[in-house]
Amino acid sequence: MRDLPLRLARLGRALRAHGVVTTLRDELDAVEALALVDRGDREEVRRALRIALKIPRADFETYDRLFDGFWRAVPDGMPVAPRRPVERPVAARGPALHWDPDTRRLSTGARPSAQGERPGYSPEALLRRKPFDEDWSGRDLVRMERALARLARRLATRRSRRLVPTRGRGRADVRASYRRALRTSGELVTLARRARAVEEPRVAFLLDTSGSMDAHTRFLLTFALTLRRAAPRAEVFAFNTALVPLTRSLTPGKVRLTLDRLAASVADWSGGTRIGECLSRFYEDHLAREAAGQTVVVVLSDGLDRGDPGRLAAAARRIRGRARRLIWLNPLLGDPRYEPAAAGMQAALPFVDHFASAHDLESLERLVPHLAG
Amino acid sequence: MKPEIQALLAALETEGYITEPATATAVFLAREMRKPLLVEGDAGVGKTELAKVLARLLDTELIRLQCYEGLDVQTALYEWDYPRQLLRLRMSEGRGEDPREVEARIFSRDYLLERPLLRAITRPDRAPVLLIDEVDRSDDGFEAFLLELLSDFQATIPELGTIRAEHPPYVVLTSNRTRELGDALRRRCLYLFMEHPSLEKEVRIIRTRWPKAQGRLAREVGRFLQALRARPLVKSPGVAETLDWTQALLSLRQESLEPEVVTQTLGCLLKDRHDLEALTPSEVASLVTLAREESLP
Repeated sequence: MRDLPLRLARLGRALRAHGVVTTLRDELDAVEALALVDRGDREEVRRALRIALKIPRADFETYDRLFDGFWRAVPDGMPVAPRRPVERPVAARGPALHWDPDTRRLSTGARPSAQGERPGYSPEALLRRKPFDEDWSGRDLVRMERALARLARRLATRRSRRLVPTRGRGRADVRASYRRALRTSGELVTLARRARAVEEPRVAFLLDTSGSMDAHTRFLLTFALTLRRAAPRAEVFAFNTALVPLTRSLTPGKVRLTLDRLAASVADWSGGTRIGECLSRFYEDHLAREAAGQTVVVVLSDGLDRGDPGRLAAAARRIRGRARRLIWLNPLLGDPRYEPAAAGMQAALPFVDHFASAHDLESLERLVPHLAG
Repeated sequence: MKPEIQALLAALETEGYITEPATATAVFLAREMRKPLLVEGDAGVGKTELAKVLARLLDTELIRLQCYEGLDVQTALYEWDYPRQLLRLRMSEGRGEDPREVEARIFSRDYLLERPLLRAITRPDRAPVLLIDEVDRSDDGFEAFLLELLSDFQATIPELGTIRAEHPPYVVLTSNRTRELGDALRRRCLYLFMEHPSLEKEVRIIRTRWPKAQGRLAREVGRFLQALRARPLVKSPGVAETLDWTQALLSLRQESLEPEVVTQTLGCLLKDRHDLEALTPSEVASLVTLAREESLP
C-alpha cells in the first residue's frame, strides 16, 4: 500500500466525522504500528490500527465499517468523510418572556392554562410546600435562597480519601512526625497529623428553559444565582434546542440585568427541547475536557424531549462515566400523578445517580442529606 | 499474520495463556513501540494475568502497583526510611561527626525506600514489567502524576535529583472502567479491549488449567458459560470464575453437568444476589440441557 499516510489521515478524518475521537498523535502511532505488522493481512491491520488509534469498545462497529473503506485497494474508493448530519431544530417558539417587577417573577404574559400544566400545585398554603411556580413574597425568597445555599455547598464540597496535613485533629502521621523530629535532632516533640482532604468538585448546572419548564424559571434562576455565590467553581448552562453557557452572564445582585441578558443570549428561550443533543454537546465541549470524576452534573429538566431518546440515553451514559455524579432534578416529580414516563426521562434514568423532585422548598431540603460523600 | 505475532501467540500459549490474536498484536506493538499498554475489559477476562505472563515470557521481574483512591506518591514512588535516619543521627551525635557529611549520608540512596514506580525505573540489568492494576480506582490527581512518569520514565526526588530509567519498563495498565480514564492517559498508551473468550478458546483454557477435565466436562462447562453470559447479568462470570467452577465440579467428581449439582455450585459463577435469584431451577435445567445437547458429537 502506497500513499499510506494520506489514507490513514482520511480514516482519521472519517472517524472524527462519526464522533470517534482520534488525534494526530494517534495517527502517528498508527503509522508506526502499520510498519510493524503484516500489511497483507487485513484482519491483522484492522486489529493493529484499532489498538494504535485507541478505539473504545463502544465505537468498534463504527471503526470496523470505516476500516473496510480504508482497506479497499482502489485509492479513490476511500469514502469521503460524511458531514455531520445537520439537524435543524424544530422551531417551537413559546411566548416571549418578560420580567414583571410587581410580582417579581418572570412571566410569559399569558399564564399557562391550569390542567396539568402546573405540576406541584397543592391547595394548602403551607409555605414549605409552596410550589416554585407560585408567587413568592420577599421572605419566602430569602428562605429559599438559604435552602439553596445549603444545597449548593453540599454539592460543592466532598471529603476525599486522600489524607492531607492538618493542624487540628486527625490521624497521627508517623512519617511527617519523624521528618519534623529531624529538626530537633531526633526528639519527637510534636506529632504531625493528617486528615481527609475536603475537595471542591466542580458543579455544572444545566437548566432546561423550554416551554414546559416555563413555570419553574424563577426557581431555576434563583438556584443558579445562589449556586454561583456558594460555589464559585459552579458552571451554569441553559439549554432547550441549543446549549448556552450562562456562567459569565450571571452576576449576583443584578438579577434584572441578568434576566435581560439571558433572554438575549438564550437562542430559543421557552421553545422545544432537544435534551439529548444538548447533553452530548455539553459532554463533548466541556466535560470531556476536564479531569474525570471532578464534576457534579445537575440537570434540572422535566425530561420532555423532542429529540431521539436513544441519543439522550447515550449522552447520559457518557456523562455518567466522567462526572462525579449525575443528579437529575425534576419539578414534575412533585405532582403525584406524574410518572417519569416521558421517553427521554425513561432513557436517561438508568444513568442517573440521584433522581429527585425539586418543586418546592421541602423537596430541596430533603435532597441535601442525600448528597453527602 | 506476521510471524513474530504468530510466535508470540504461541509463546503466550505455552505459558498457559490462551488468547485472541488481538491480544498478541497489542503486546507485540507495545513491545516494539515501547509504549504502555492499557487493557480494559470486564473483571475476570485475564487483564492482570496478561502482565504476569508477559513478565515470565520476557524472563524479567514483575513489579505491581495496585491502585486505590487516596494512593499517594509516598506509597507509589518513594519514601525516606525515617526511623533509620533518626538512628543514624543519634549515633553520629555521640561521635561528633561533621553535620554536613551526616546529612549527605542520611539522604542517600541507602536510606531511600523504593516503592513500585521507583523500583520499576531503577532496575540495573534489564527492563521489568510494570503492572499498574485497576488504574481507574486511583484519583485523577494520581492519574496526572502517572502521565508524567509514563512519558519520560523519570522521577525527581528533591534531595537526590532526577532519576532517569536506564531500562524503561514495559508498562501494562488495567482498568475495569469503574470510571472513564482521562483522554490524555489513554492517548499515551496503546489500547486493548479484552472480550470474554470464545467457546473454543474457553474450552482450551479449561483443559490447559485442569488437564483432568478432559472429555465432555470442559466442553459442557464452556457451552454453559457462553449461554449464561448471553443472559442479562449484573456481573458476568469471567474466566477466573469458569476455572473455579470447573475445579469445584472436578472435586465433586462430576464428569458431566447435572442440573442439581449445577444449582448447588452456581455460587462459583454468579457473585451477585440478584443474578442468583433471577436464575430459577428450571432455567438452570434448560441451560444444562442446552450445554449437554450441543456437546454430543
